Amino acid sequence: MNYLILGLTRGSMYALIALGYTLVYGVLQLINFAHSEVFMSGAFGSFLVVNLVVGDAGEVSGVVAFFVIVLGLLTGALTGAIVAYTLEKVAYRPLRRRGAPKLAFLISAIGASFLLSQLAGKLFNRLTNNTFPDYFNGDATLFTVFGARVTLLQVIIVVSALLLMLFLDRLVSGTKLGRGIRAVAEDAPTAALMGVNIDRTISRTFMIGGALAGAAGFLFGTAFVFSNTMGFIPGIKAFAAAVLGGIGNIRGAMIGGLLLGVAENLIPTAPWTGTAWIGIQWTDVVAFVILILILVLRPTGILGERLGRAA
Amino acid sequence: MKKLSLPPVVGRLLACLAGGVVLAMMVGTQQGSQQDYGLSFREAVLDVRIVWFLLLGLLVFVVITYKDLVTPYLQRPGVRPLVAGVLVLIASFFLLTWYDPLSDGKFGAFADAVTGTPQIAPLARAFFGWLWLVGLIGVPVLIAVAIVLRVRVLAWVAAVVAVVVGVLAVVADSTAGDFAGGIDHSFGSVVALLGFLVLAFAAGVVARSTKEVATPTEFLERVMAYRPGLPLVVVGLVLGLLSLTGATWLAPTGDNLTLVDTSALFEGSDLDGLSAAVLGWLAYVLLVVVLAAAGAAVWLRSKPLGLAAAGLAVVSVLLVLITLHGISSTAAEAGYGSGDGPWQNLGTGGWVLCIGLFLIGAGAVVAALQDVLPATAAVSSDAAPVTGSGRLHAAARSTTGRSLALFAVGLALFYPPTANQFWQQSLTTTIGVYVLLAVGLNVVIGWAGLLDLGFIAFYAIGSYTTAYLTGSLPVQPPSWLLLSPLWAIPVAILICLIAGVLLGAPTLRLRGDYLAIVTLGFGEIIRIVAVNNPGEFTNGPRGVATPVPHPVIDLGFIRIEWGNSSLQYWYLLLILLAIVLIFFYRLEGSRLGRSWAAVREDEVAAQATGVNTTRVKLLAFAIGASTSGLAGVFFGSQVGYFNPQNFVLNNSILIVAYVVFGGMGSLVGAIAGAAALTWLPEFLRDQVPAEDRTMWIGAVLLVMMIFRPQGLIPARRRKAELTGLAGHDGSVRPGIQAVPASEGT
Repeated sequence: MNYLILGLTRGSMYALIALGYTLVYGVLQLINFAHSEVFMSGAFGSFLVVNLVVGDAGEVSGVVAFFVIVLGLLTGALTGAIVAYTLEKVAYRPLRRRGAPKLAFLISAIGASFLLSQLAGKLFNRLTNNTFPDYFNGDATLFTVFGARVTLLQVIIVVSALLLMLFLDRLVSGTKLGRGIRAVAEDAPTAALMGVNIDRTISRTFMIGGALAGAAGFLFGTAFVFSNTMGFIPGIKAFAAAVLGGIGNIRGAMIGGLLLGVAENLIPTAPWTGTAWIGIQWTDVVAFVILILILVLRPTGILGERLGRAA
Repeated sequence: MKKLSLPPVVGRLLACLAGGVVLAMMVGTQQGSQQDYGLSFREAVLDVRIVWFLLLGLLVFVVITYKDLVTPYLQRPGVRPLVAGVLVLIASFFLLTWYDPLSDGKFGAFADAVTGTPQIAPLARAFFGWLWLVGLIGVPVLIAVAIVLRVRVLAWVAAVVAVVVGVLAVVADSTAGDFAGGIDHSFGSVVALLGFLVLAFAAGVVARSTKEVATPTEFLERVMAYRPGLPLVVVGLVLGLLSLTGATWLAPTGDNLTLVDTSALFEGSDLDGLSAAVLGWLAYVLLVVVLAAAGAAVWLRSKPLGLAAAGLAVVSVLLVLITLHGISSTAAEAGYGSGDGPWQNLGTGGWVLCIGLFLIGAGAVVAALQDVLPATAAVSSDAAPVTGSGRLHAAARSTTGRSLALFAVGLALFYPPTANQFWQQSLTTTIGVYVLLAVGLNVVIGWAGLLDLGFIAFYAIGSYTTAYLTGSLPVQPPSWLLLSPLWAIPVAILICLIAGVLLGAPTLRLRGDYLAIVTLGFGEIIRIVAVNNPGEFTNGPRGVATPVPHPVIDLGFIRIEWGNSSLQYWYLLLILLAIVLIFFYRLEGSRLGRSWAAVREDEVAAQATGVNTTRVKLLAFAIGASTSGLAGVFFGSQVGYFNPQNFVLNNSILIVAYVVFGGMGSLVGAIAGAAALTWLPEFLRDQVPAEDRTMWIGAVLLVMMIFRPQGLIPARRRKAELTGLAGHDGSVRPGIQAVPASEGT
């Protein structure tokens, strides 16, 4: 049970990042390989601001803790959005103007990813163990389900992730911008004919995805340690999650993220057998094997692709 | 939604300034601190130096904004060589080393040392003191003024000054180097000479040309088609003369002996007669004879003469090699120098003579091949649409291509022995191996259009197979299976082939990005398996248990044993690479190669025209995988020890980057891309803090893709895709579509 909860926590973060992959894929049919660095920048951005505003105050009262979380989420999202916006401007738009082949986008994104992650490393001394100050006791047991502890932090993470996902779902299906995104995803030239500003829509899409990833960066940073290379593994997992759910499909990404998080925590340990089944060092193997099996059985992911159709 | 509208000029200005700030953060040493997170930011940005970076941003802004004003001047003849020359000079003066024995042997430090030593000849001190500034700043300014105002005299003056300063650079450097002594492999001064010659060329163009718009391609084609092979012969002659007069032939314990000195040294020793003859007089005769034959062949465009000259050149190179072997082993036996066998303590001279003779012979070959109809030059499936003055065009291009290829071969054969230990090591273990990998991946990505992000897995399989077969893993193979590394090659290729098919068969029906994540997953699975060490097979993260033995060829009468020297492996690698390249070159134009192109362009259409797409894709996968496995065998036996860290995902991604950077789908491009990008980190070692190298590589990738998304040397067919064939492109405005829909990946 513990592992199920742990999986849900991880999975909700994967889902938040996966949404960024899926949104960008929806409008551009491209894998944004620098997305993991957007996630990373969210952690650092929120950390800098929170540290500046609250300081290293030690444990704070409930209201302030709530404020810290909201502030962290907002600034993380803001940093993520800014970085994603710049990324689109620098690494994607010039290539689109030139009609570059798809792999060129991939490489420019990889280049941007190296640049961002190492620049952050240079600025923050390449430490691998940065942590947020303990503003509240995240390990406090909030309640137990079937004997498993559910900590405060886990609740915070899952709840804020769910809220953000709900928000995104409304945004894409309900607003004018969302309609624009769906239109571009469906058929970009036609959308342009219908008066959708493609450049701006793509830019906004990047920003939304970046904001979600940045918020996820904050959540990740509070739960674990953060560093300039922290984006890599979650980035790959989230990418896998996005593909798992059917890349380009928003709800697919959410489900894929949660599923991947739960599966990779549950299967290797197999708590129902009473002993560690194959051991946690096989976590990643399990994740990828599941991915490959699902893709072999259902080549377009669980929910199929197309942003336009699904949402 | 509110419309945020800045005037575009302001936006551009801000962007340029922001770029300057980012650059400021990238340049400099590591400053971060966990106690003070703003430290490195303040050090990098809130400092006087930020002004320079902002000015740089401003300069870019001005150039972009006033592009229209500048463009007419930029198109004039001579601008491009001017820029090229200045860039070469900047590289020489600020990035390259001028004198190796100094810990910081770059120009600045060396110049300080020289100007502070009054015993060095005044001319050399003058060069290092102020003359280099005249060359670096004065000459380009003169040429620029000449271009803008069209003053011929000024251009001629600039040309003369450039040549003089260039020659002085080499003279001053060798004077100062001789004074200080020590082993010096640096070529800062040679590159400076090259830069100054390019500047002189630019000045000459400015003085001679009357055109308003430069036509460099046309000019180049005229030069190359004038007498095919002539440029190679000229370069070869220059190198040959350098080798016979000034270069060091034997360099034991800090002595620098030229050809004449070496000849004198071995007077009366028990050096074999042939080598003594070469040292004494034959070397000069050989150069003259080969030159005469090749020159005649090139001038008369005669095929038999060309082949004869090529044969002569090969014989001469062999003679020189025998001599080098002779003098180095005799010197070692006589206890002269510190070497303990042949091929030690040699200077660059002999090798440079080899390059020179090779290039002269290569020029003759180019001349000999010229008579063949241009149509066969385009054997590859990427036959270019022949347009306009078709024949001359195609002929010039095939000559240029051949000349460059032969030039590269000459360098690959004879340059590495002159490099220092460190570079020999990097050439073999990183650059060479990754070139092989990139060539293999090019089949999968460039030709078949399948995005494979787990390519390193096959490399790992190849390495571990070798380790298993040579008994280096905890699990020993049955004794009848214990093999030498070279015999492991076919087995490893076979196993990688099977692995490729096993992975490919179920997954290849997946489209582009799904395939990417599946291959990525496969790569990670292989690596984690190697780390987790099931059944004590891989020995886990520690790497192989005992070192993989070095390969041996034992044919009874001849026994070649590879040892610890990287150089031997370099030649083994060249042989492997040559085999793979010839195979792939033939493959590209074959039925299979054309099927790959068809599948890449449009899978449905390919299927409709009768291509068995699954089979074709599977073959691409398997061939790529087996190349990777071959590289793995080589790697395993060369380094001896390896561990799962050598097979991380990042390397897979980097190989993809090499292929795309070089130019997708072109063999030469893959080689160039891999060589350039693996060379870069080694080069950056001297330029930036070691941890920052990845950052700069990222920046290079990013900039390259923004300004040249097709890569360094794109395949012709790919190029046509990107720019559109003439007349077909104008109808679609780029930018309307989010991305081009035509790509298969």
